[in-house]
Amino acid sequence: MQKSTIQFLLINCFLAIVLVSCGSVSKNYKPKKLDKTSYTVPYFSDSKTDYVYKTNISVYGNELSGIFIAKKINDTTHRIVFTTEFGNKLMDFEISENDFKVNSIVSELDRKILINTLKEDFRLLLKKEYQLQEQFENESADIYKSADGKRDNYIFISKKDHKLEKIVHSSQTKEKFTLFFNSENNIFAENIQIIHQNIKLKIELNYFKSE
Amino acid sequence: MQTKIYLFFFLIIGLSLSAQEQKMTDAEIASFKQDVNVVAKKIKTLTTDFVQYKHLDFLSKDIETSGKMIFKEPALLQWQYKKPYNYSITFKNGKILINDEGKKSAVDIGNSKIFARINKLIVGSVSGNMFDDKEFTISYFKLKGLNLAKFVPKDATLKKYIKQIELTFDKEEATVVQVKLLESSEDYTRIVLKNKVINAKIDDSVFTN
Repeated sequence: MQKSTIQFLLINCFLAIVLVSCGSVSKNYKPKKLDKTSYTVPYFSDSKTDYVYKTNISVYGNELSGIFIAKKINDTTHRIVFTTEFGNKLMDFEISENDFKVNSIVSELDRKILINTLKEDFRLLLKKEYQLQEQFENESADIYKSADGKRDNYIFISKKDHKLEKIVHSSQTKEKFTLFFNSENNIFAENIQIIHQNIKLKIELNYFKSE
Repeated sequence: MQTKIYLFFFLIIGLSLSAQEQKMTDAEIASFKQDVNVVAKKIKTLTTDFVQYKHLDFLSKDIETSGKMIFKEPALLQWQYKKPYNYSITFKNGKILINDEGKKSAVDIGNSKIFARINKLIVGSVSGNMFDDKEFTISYFKLKGLNLAKFVPKDATLKKYIKQIELTFDKEEATVVQVKLLESSEDYTRIVLKNKVINAKIDDSVFTN
């Protein structure tokens, strides 16, 4: 008897999880009247700044660390370089809303699936302007929905200090990956985490000032 | 008149450039190599502070990191980055041991020929003993108080990672004061070594993560 109760509970829990994760991502938030039509991300937008971060990448239990460098090289394009702590260049990309160019990549990392994943991640990380269609809220944040092709981005702005806290990239039913930001001044993000929900990939960036 | 002034300036610039970096004669090369080899042979252990400048042509400033390097014969090597983050990398018995802000990991490089090569190269460049004509095309220059050797890898695989290595030597001490690893003509890593201590006692247990 007891055993079947536990089983029943387990199945119920499982169903609950499936149902919640199958519903629209915005289902958990309260709709609100849209208070603006566009949002401009403050981070990574200054062409004079070298954005340099110590980086840890964890992919299916493997750890990789190095230095992540991003620089806005013209109105539309960022250059992105990932090096080891020694300075050897592992990847070198140029990325804009519509273009993507691999300047160089070491053969060990030259895998289409990896490059495409990073392209998606970095494109969202560096995206400057979002057109907004809907608005929601939860206890701590105003949440804006912005269409992105067949998918959506949910932009979370904290109610307390109006800082960009996270961006959730999702399909109609499922969250794909999330960008978390920590920023002191709302101009510059000191800590960024890119966490994938459908694959075991986590990228953490910690800003460092070179002396 | 104007053209003459320009010409004059070009001449001055040309002169000062050639004064900076002058090709060594064969005799100078032989004596320089001998000096370095004598010193390198005496090196059983070496510790030195270093400052690393990563130069990428599109950045407004070089990325600067610094720390301490420890070497013990024949091939124990550790780089400790202390600023602006704590990160150490140890080369030991075909393994790379990493400590990244307390997070430890190990990579087996026993089978990786390219890593073994790079390791040998780093050890060689720190001790200064890498005048291997089979591996590199080497050219020699002299500067004020300094000697400069430029190494171009002959191996195509190695060349993909490193286009050229430049070692700068103190003329008096015949030891390396700067290592420059060029990835391309625009991008390079420059490592300045200072406060060198030779043959202090170093325990093997230092070389861990």
